[in-house]
This record gives sequence, structure tokens and C-alpha cells, in this order.
Amino acid sequence: MLRHHLLSAYRNLKRNKTFSFINIGGLALGIAAFLFILQYIGIETGVNQFHENADRIYRVINVDKNGESWSELEPGFAARFVENFPEIEAASRKDNGITSGVVQNEENDLSFREADIHYVEGNFFEVFSFPILAGNASGLNEPNTVFISKSSALKYFGDSDPINQNLILHNQFGKTIYTVKGVYEDMSYNSDFDMDMAFSLETLKNEANLNGNGWANLNNLDSQFAQTILLLKSNTNVEQLEAKLTAYRESVSREDDGVSFKLQPLTEMHLGASLNDPLPTYGNIKYVYILGAIGLMILLIAWFNYVNLSTANSLKRSVEVGVRKAIGADQKSLLGQFLMQTALVNLIGFLVALVIIILCRPLFNEMIGKDLPLFAHLSPSVWLIGALALLLGTLISGVYAALVSTRFKTVETIKGLAKSGKSGSFLRKSLVVMQFGVSVALIFATVVIYSQLDYLRNKDLGVDAEQMLVIRGPAIYGDNFDSRRNAFLNELASQSMVEKYALSGAVPARFYNFRTNGFTHPGSKPDDKYNSYAFVCTEGEYFDTYGIPLKAGRTFTPEEVRVDWNSNSKVMINETALEYMGFESAQEAMLEGIQWDERHLDIIGVSADYHHLGLQSEIDPIIFYPQQYGQFFSVKLAKGDRKKQLASLGNLYRQYFPGNPFDYSFLEEDFAESLQAEQQYGLVFTTASVLAILIACLGLFGLTMYTVEARIKEIGVRKVLGASVASVVALLSKDFLILVVIALLLATPVTIYLMSNWLSDFPYAIEINGWMVAGVAILALMIAFITVSFQTLKGALMNPGTTLRNE
Amino acid sequence: MIKLNNISKYYPAGFGKTYVLRNISLEIGEGEFVSIMGPSGSGKSTLLHILGLLEAASEGEYLFMDSPVQKLNEKKRTELHRNAIGFVFQAYHLIDELTVYENIETPLLYKGMKSSERKSKVADILDRFNIVGKKDLFPSQLSGGQQQLVGVARAIVSEPKVIFADEPTGNLHSEQADDIMKLFKELNEKDGVTIVQVTHSEKNAAYGERIIKLKDGWLDV
Ligand SMILES: Nc1ncnc2c1ncn2[C@@H]1O[C@H](COP(=O)(O)OP(=O)(O)O)[C@@H](O)[C@H]1O
Ligand SMILES: [Mg+2]
Repeated sequence: MLRHHLLSAYRNLKRNKTFSFINIGGLALGIAAFLFILQYIGIETGVNQFHENADRIYRVINVDKNGESWSELEPGFAARFVENFPEIEAASRKDNGITSGVVQNEENDLSFREADIHYVEGNFFEVFSFPILAGNASGLNEPNTVFISKSSALKYFGDSDPINQNLILHNQFGKTIYTVKGVYEDMSYNSDFDMDMAFSLETLKNEANLNGNGWANLNNLDSQFAQTILLLKSNTNVEQLEAKLTAYRESVSREDDGVSFKLQPLTEMHLGASLNDPLPTYGNIKYVYILGAIGLMILLIAWFNYVNLSTANSLKRSVEVGVRKAIGADQKSLLGQFLMQTALVNLIGFLVALVIIILCRPLFNEMIGKDLPLFAHLSPSVWLIGALALLLGTLISGVYAALVSTRFKTVETIKGLAKSGKSGSFLRKSLVVMQFGVSVALIFATVVIYSQLDYLRNKDLGVDAEQMLVIRGPAIYGDNFDSRRNAFLNELASQSMVEKYALSGAVPARFYNFRTNGFTHPGSKPDDKYNSYAFVCTEGEYFDTYGIPLKAGRTFTPEEVRVDWNSNSKVMINETALEYMGFESAQEAMLEGIQWDERHLDIIGVSADYHHLGLQSEIDPIIFYPQQYGQFFSVKLAKGDRKKQLASLGNLYRQYFPGNPFDYSFLEEDFAESLQAEQQYGLVFTTASVLAILIACLGLFGLTMYTVEARIKEIGVRKVLGASVASVVALLSKDFLILVVIALLLATPVTIYLMSNWLSDFPYAIEINGWMVAGVAILALMIAFITVSFQTLKGALMNPGTTLRNE
Repeated sequence: MIKLNNISKYYPAGFGKTYVLRNISLEIGEGEFVSIMGPSGSGKSTLLHILGLLEAASEGEYLFMDSPVQKLNEKKRTELHRNAIGFVFQAYHLIDELTVYENIETPLLYKGMKSSERKSKVADILDRFNIVGKKDLFPSQLSGGQQQLVGVARAIVSEPKVIFADEPTGNLHSEQADDIMKLFKELNEKDGVTIVQVTHSEKNAAYGERIIKLKDGWLDV
């Protein structure tokens, strides 16, 4: 019997090609989207879970009075915690981005700029369970040791054994030699900590290795730069410990700032505990939910097609059902037959989906901004949930289609009196409305996202980014560095392709040198000193090179930038800082100056505001601090052959700074990169809306086909009576277009609400206007109309003679 | 085998009802070959459907093989369709996506017959009807006469006690019609199958032993 069902199902699909194509095609796309997203969700929920001690590891988070939270802690707490609280088995620190620099293997003269490297506690590889490929996990306890990833080992040492070889790290702490004591498996998508090298934090205990950076003293309780992770003993009461740690902080802290400690479980470090979890996370749970919803909706649209087309087709198959009943089929075997067909459609759809997944992986990886393997290692429960969802959907759509198809009275079908039920047609209409509602919402969202992106891309940043090349200054100095640098700068200035250049410690589209508070206008309130100001340490040419006009005063002279940090008494500020500090005018500011804790600083100039960090955040108050030889060389290039320009600048750079990698970027691209998240959203929503509308239109196409088939005689009669083609098309299209209009009416307000919400996170945002609404509506109606027209036109153009003959 | 007592059938029409069959009482014995005749719309098909348990009568009593049909549940009725009743339709109603072989096999499948037994039964029938060579063709590849032959084969493969045929030759040329009628005759005489057919043709009706005439839903005696 099963064989018979399978055979009937297979032959039926083969015979009803349009029906099969629409359903299998739609389901394949839907299932592919669903599986991709399932995999994504599986990966996201699996991040950090593999550590053996995952259930005992917590990250210490600061939470201030306003509920703001951040993960950087004063490094001095770690040892004190372990000492004072017996429930803490171990503390492990990892810096938050102070390590980056150039790493060099002197032996084979290889050096690269490395961003994903960190100082970590000696016990790091004992607390966490990253697989060690060579060396002993405890090897990092010694100062001047480093563990490197498998790919870094290959990068710096090729085929030779890296263990006990030396690497030199050139960064803000100067030049330090490290010995490789371990190699670990590359950290990958299943870990938030993703570092290419782990340098022993222990090294910084030695004053000599701090290079004058007193703030980085490992015992200090003043500067926050290290995440502190605690391994707790089993059965520790976490809430009590949080309270104890907070109390401890209060007892040792200089300032009564109301900050308390929270312990974030390692297992929640990626996505948080829930949508409302305020603590900082590496992942984005919102994105997981959005993608999950989109995947499910697309799959639902495909299943709706199956239900709709099966029920629309049921009348055609009613005779077969009737005959089968007459020759002895019971309800059970008929249901079995239709279920088998559903199963077959879904199975073929599933197989095609696998092909799609294999082909579309690069697109998907781009969408989620990760580089996932074809079949990532996921927990079985994820696959189980996926399998259950697919089975459930298949079952529900199958049972419904089967019930509708077998509901006719045998005798009516044989007499040709069977009629399609009214209730079925209401459900069909509702499903079409839902399909188009979702599609319209997705299209609308896409339009809003791209309008916003377009706006952000084209808004004036207040900075001249065109042809602006940003070169990283050398990190490996060597002998006679100063004279070589001056010679390089002279050469640079003499190049015809260099229009202007400037040296600075921070550049637009990248973070400031740092942010700090403690500034007060002489007449300000005591609270003002908690306002935070951004610092840009720079030479005077910065403003001219970047085309940032001065509103008042002047820029730094070469003499002023040579003055050392602590003796300096002159700063520049931007307009926002002027406002923050409460000055009435630039003149007033330049007259009065400003107080930075105990130091008085003259304000010598006020620059126009510009968007240093792009348009994602509001303009910060900036203090420009005179300092020579910042780590960035900003070069405004003349128009010309970029390749040639870069080649000759690269040669120049390598000639004067041997051993240093020539790292550069163009400011325009840096700004564009800051829109990556939005671009990702754009890509996701474009793909989702194309899929949704495509599958929905496939279904609509099929439904029209059946409707036209069912009404073909009516059409013939109307034409004989003199109806025009246009009027017949209008008659047939009307019913469907009404559904799309209803979908528009339902989806538009919801989408406006959701997307306004999304836009409200941007300090600079477009407003959703009537044109967008109208555009989306017209687009949706047009797509639906064109889809419907294929069949309605065919019906309307048919010769009434042919359609009426077989009466 | 079949006994109708005052059977009536009506359909709701507007506020009232229209009678299609009125006070039909008749008896058909086992092994009879009966033809139902009457003008179009006189209720022949309806009567046949009632006889074949595809439709329930509105009034009256119907005994099929001595059991009152009104009291049969769905399961029993399916049981009778599987074992006791065969249908032949005017429009053949073969299942389009099944081959000749599979069409004939289907009733046996529903009966739950074993595969080996099915094979020999279907083979016998194919042989007997001289359509072995067509067994892998689909209905659309057959002529009308051939299709109806398959239709009859399908109706008798499960060895029913009675075959109900609604204008089985209505769509056929007279030559093809004769073949089908001869087949019925043979089934009736050799296998003792009761046959109840609806026909418009006096010639076809003559193959049977008895003619039941209907007029406007009344038995026309
Ligand atoms: N389901 C139904 N509802 C209403 N009227 C019906 C139905 N089925 C049949 N009829 C009517 O009953 C009458 C007899 O039909 P039928 O038994 O098919 O006649 P015949 O087969 O003799 O031509 C016809 O007038 C037909 O229109
Ligand atoms: Mg009839």
C-alpha cells in the first residue's frame, strides 16, 4: 500500500508540473532559508558553551547608577578577589584591546600588524578549555611567554616547530621579546574570545616592560582595561558573591561613584540571558530573533502555498477520490495517500534545499558576517528542533490538504457536482493575505534600511574623506629612528601625489586616543567633571588636511606639539565641547580656558564639528591635545593611479622603516566599514523579501491558474456576450488584488512602527514618508498584478469556441 | 439479494423539496441481469447510486444481502464496497496516473490482499480480457472501449457479488458496446455475478433478463 501511495504521489507530481514546481521550488527556498537560519541560531546559542568549566565561569561587569554596564575592570581587583573570597577558585584577566601592534619574527624577518592579540592571565588556558596542540597550558604563567594559534604558527614559523622560538611584540609598551610556549587550535565561531596570540599578562608586572605606561600597572585600581573572569567553586551563591564583591569595591574605591559588580555567566556572555538583558554581550540576540522569525515566516509562506494549491486543486482530484472510495478505499488510506504526497513534496524540497545551501553559503556567510563551514558542529538539540519543525509543518499542511481533498461525498464527485467549499476559500484568502503581508513588510523594511544607509553614506561628515589615505606609522623603530622618520616625512612632502599630510594619534572613523573626564569650565557645576570628553592627540596640520574649518582661534604650532604631555597648557576643542563646557562663545572659551583636575589649560582654537566616529553616534565633545608623531599618517592624495601611488608610497615606507608592514586604508572605506552592520541588515532583508515575495508569487500564480481553469466556461460565456479582454482580466485579477490591498493595509502600520523603532536608535535618521509607503504599495500591487496577469490574460485571450465546446 | 421497500429520494429545493425517486419497491435476486431504463432525468443514476450504497435514500427501507443498509456504518459500507460491490462508470473513471495493471490492482490493495495473490488475480483478469499487452499503458493511451474494458476488469477483480454499471457504453461505439455487453453476459452466466446496468439502448437492455423502467422517479410498470 505504501508503495502504491508513493507511486500515485510521484506520478501525480510528475503530471501536475506547475503544482509540483511551485510547491517544491517554494519549499526548497523556504527550507533552505530555515536551515541556514537554524544553523545560525545553533551556532549563536552554542558560543562559549564548550568550556568544561562553563557553568562555573563568570565575567565581572561594572554597572553604574544609570544601569550602564561595561566589562573593563581595574586589573588590581583580580588578585584581591581571590585573596578575599574563598568561593573564587581562580581569576583570569584578559585585556580589552591594549595589546595590538606589530609582531615580528626576527629570525626570518617576518612582521605583521596584529589586531586580535591580547595579554591574558597565566592560567587562561587552564580556566578555559581551548584545545592546546603543543606545549603545556601552565606555560603561560611565566613572564615573556606567548601562546599562538595554529594559523599564527604557520604564518610566522612556517613548517618549523614554533615552541621555544622568539617573537617580538612592538606596541605601546615598547619592544618586548616573548618565547612561544604553546600552540592552540584556532579560536573559531564557537568562541567570543577570538585571538591569534595570547601574551602573558604577567610580563607587564615588570615596570621595565611598561614603557612609562603607569596606568597599565597590574595592581592598580584606577584604570579599567582588563576583563576579569572568575572561576567559582561549585555551588557558589552568585548573588551573594556579587553583593560581597560590590561591598569590597566600595571599601577600596577612592570615589563613591555608585558602581556595582555583576557576575555574568560565561554561558550568557554571547547573547545575554534574554532580550532585555542589559549586560554587555558579544553577540546580538535581537539579530538572532529577527533572523529566526524571518526564516520561519519564509518557510510558512511556502507551506501556505502547499495548503492553498492542494485545496484549490482538490476539486480537480475529487473524482479520483470518489472513485477510490467507490472501489473500497477508506478514509485512512486516502489520508495516507495525500500525506504521502505531502511528504514527498517536502522531501524533494528538502533535498533541493540542501543543494541551495551548498551553493549559497558564501552569500549567507556575508549576511551573518561570519565564516561558517558547510555543516557547523551544532548541538543535536538544534537539529532535533529543526527536524521536529519540518515534520510538524509537513504533517499539518499535509493533514489539512488531505482532509480538504477527501471531504467530498463520493456520489457528488462522480456526478460532477462537487463544489469547492466556502470555508476553504476563506482560509485560502487569509493565507494569501498573510503571505503578502509578510512580503510587503519585508520589502518595506528593506526600503527603509536602504534609504537610511543611503542617507548615512551621503550625509556630509564635516571631514574631507576623498582620496584620504591613512597609513599606520612604524612600530619597529631600530637605530636612528628619528632621523629616518624626518627623512621619510621630507620625502613624503616632496611627492607630487601628496597634496597634504598630517600626523596624529587618532584619525576619523577610528576611535579617539581615549575618552576621559575631569574637565570643568571655571564656572561649572561639580557634576560636570563626570562628563566624558574624547581626546585626539595631534599635530596642527590635522585640521587643514582633513578640511575641518576652525570656528575661532588657531591650530597648534610645531613648537607647541613638541612640548611634553605634562607640561602642555594649550588645547583646542570642537564646537560640541564648547557647548558641553557651557561657554557662551568661542571668544569666552579662549579667554577663560578650562580646568582638567588640577591643571589649567588654555583653549587656543575651536574647530567646527565633524563626525569623527561616523554617523552611528552623536558628535562627541572633543579635546585636541598637542602631541607630535602620532601613530597615523594621514595623506591627502592627488587624483591619479592609486595602484602606482600606493606602490611608490609603500616602497618609500619600507625604505625608511625597514621591517615594518606597510598598513594603510582609505578613509572612505573606513567610514563605509562602520556601516557594515546596516549593510548586513540590508542584505538580509533584501534576500528575505525577495524570497518571500517570490514564493508568495509562485503561490499566487498557481492559485490564479486554478481559478482561471475553474472559471474558463464563465469567461467563454462573457466573451461571447461581448466582454473585452481588459474587462475579463480585470474581473479575474480583482479578487486577488483585493487580497494584496488588505495585506498592505495590515502590514504597513506594523512595519512603520517597527522600522521607526529601528530608526530611533540612530542619532541621524531619515523619516518614513508617504512616498515610501506609496512606493511599496505600488510595487507590491504591480508584482501581484503581473503574476496574476500571466494566467488571467491567457484565460481572457482564449478562444471561447475552445472553452465552450466540451459542454 | 436486493430488496427495496418504498424507497424515495428527494433533494432540498428552495423552501421545499423535489422528489427524484418515489415509492420504489423492487427486488433483484442473486445472479440476475437487470437493466434500468428511462428518459434522462428520470432518476436512474440516483437509483443506481442508492443501490450501490453511494447515496442514502431519503425514505423507505433497503435490504442489501438481507441487512438493512440504513443501519450500516461507514466501515461496514466500505467493507461491502471492497468485497461485494463493483462499479462501472459511463466516464470510465480510471485513475489517470496509474497504469492499466495498477488500476486493476487498486481494489485488491484496498482489500488488503497479499502481493502474490494480487499478482495472480490481476494476471488472470488481464489474460481473460486479452489486455496483457496493455498492462503498462496509462488510461490516456487507451481508446474509450479499451478504457471501459479496464473499468470492467477493475470492477470484477475483487470478485463482487454484484456489479452496478451506469451507462457503461454511453460513450462507446456500438461495436465496443457489444463487447462490453457480451462480457457482462458472460460474467453473469459463467461467474454468476449479479448485474444491474443503466442503459438507453434497447439492444443493450436485451442482454439482460429483466428491464426496470423509470419515469419521473416512479417505477413505470
Ligand atoms: N445532488 C442533487 N441535488 C439536486 N438535484 C439532484 C441531485 N442529483 C440529481 N439531481 C436531480 O435528480 C434528477 C434525477 O437525476 P439522475 O438520477 O441523474 O437522472 P438520470 O440518471 O435518470 O438522468 C435530475 O433532475 C437531477 O437534476
Ligand atoms: Mg444518469
